[in-house]
Amino acid sequence: MDESFVNPEALTQAILARTSGSPCQRLRALACDFVDGELDGAQEDLVRGHAEHCAACAALVKALAESKAVLPALAEVDPGPWFMQRVLRSTSMRAVEPGFDARAAWRKLMHRPRIALEAAYLGAVAGMMGMYAPVPWRSLELPALVQTVPLKAPAQRVMGQVIQAEQRTSASLRRVFLPRVEASPSANLWQRVSARVRSWLQRLEKVLKPSNAANP
Amino acid sequence: MELPTLLDLVRGGDELAWEAFVRRFQSRVFGLAYHYTAQAEDARDLAQEVFIRIYQSLSSVPDEDGCLPWIIRVARNACIDHLRRRKARPPLWDLPADEMFDLRSSDQNPEEAHLEAVRKTMVHRALQELSDLNREIILLKEIQGLKVEEIAAILDVPVGTVKSRSNRARLELAQKLTAAGMGGR
Repeated sequence: MDESFVNPEALTQAILARTSGSPCQRLRALACDFVDGELDGAQEDLVRGHAEHCAACAALVKALAESKAVLPALAEVDPGPWFMQRVLRSTSMRAVEPGFDARAAWRKLMHRPRIALEAAYLGAVAGMMGMYAPVPWRSLELPALVQTVPLKAPAQRVMGQVIQAEQRTSASLRRVFLPRVEASPSANLWQRVSARVRSWLQRLEKVLKPSNAANP
Repeated sequence: MELPTLLDLVRGGDELAWEAFVRRFQSRVFGLAYHYTAQAEDARDLAQEVFIRIYQSLSSVPDEDGCLPWIIRVARNACIDHLRRRKARPPLWDLPADEMFDLRSSDQNPEEAHLEAVRKTMVHRALQELSDLNREIILLKEIQGLKVEEIAAILDVPVGTVKSRSNRARLELAQKLTAAGMGGR
């Protein structure tokens, strides 16, 4: 015996299959309005009647209704307890620029992981600058000190060229750096220290000269 | 406090008013960013960036009804920029989606609270599977509750497109939820 004569639902499906086709597509078009309560009474009854006999459409309508209930609750999500402080710190000028704490800054500087390397580098640079910086009094004395050493003719010629090159370099560096050094207050201190050292050296030279003369 | 009054105080440089303003909108801005990015930390950074942008252009914030759509537009632009950057420079490994709906719930009954959190998580996951336009329409219309005209202005599409897309997006979401097990008898 044909199943449609036993099961009314099967009979309905068989008739629809041979006439209008499945009404599920029509329900899909009306489902949102049905869930929103915007259908008139007759259409609402039709949708409800179909959903009672179609499990897939019933599940779809139920999922639509549940999502409609849940979605507005997703509008607000708690960002966590520290979010407000982060925003205020980023936007409030008072919070962004606290007073300068020299002790904290020094501690922070000393706790940097490469502080030893950086200090060594800076020391090396300072040492190099000290060695090669143009010191006018020293550069003028240098030829005299070198010339006191008795050398043979070729060596003297080479040494003379070296001295001339040194003088030219010192003169050019002096032209570059000396105005700035003189303009700064530390230059006066440097000049005073240099003059003091020079006077000590001259006195020492005077003291030593008689003894050199006595021991030829 | 009424929003126009609050905005006047904020524009006048009152820090307490600014704090109240942030408290009023932070969950909404963070929620929007979270649904766009699906990453809580990214969403926090974005929400913070949004409030900085708002702070820097306080004179442009509209009063009354236009305020929330304006904030959502700013937040949406920030999220789109972020997603573009992430697309251009994707992370070295896949980040798992965070679950934000497991702990906090105002419901008194623990069982109901758990079910509510599960439902929210399912909907959030299903949202991530939608197409970009459908997800945006659901986010703006169903979640944030904006009007169709406001959504059309934000997305720069005709009003009719928003209307027609809205039902399609809801049906697509419902199908994803049905496939995930929600809506069964």
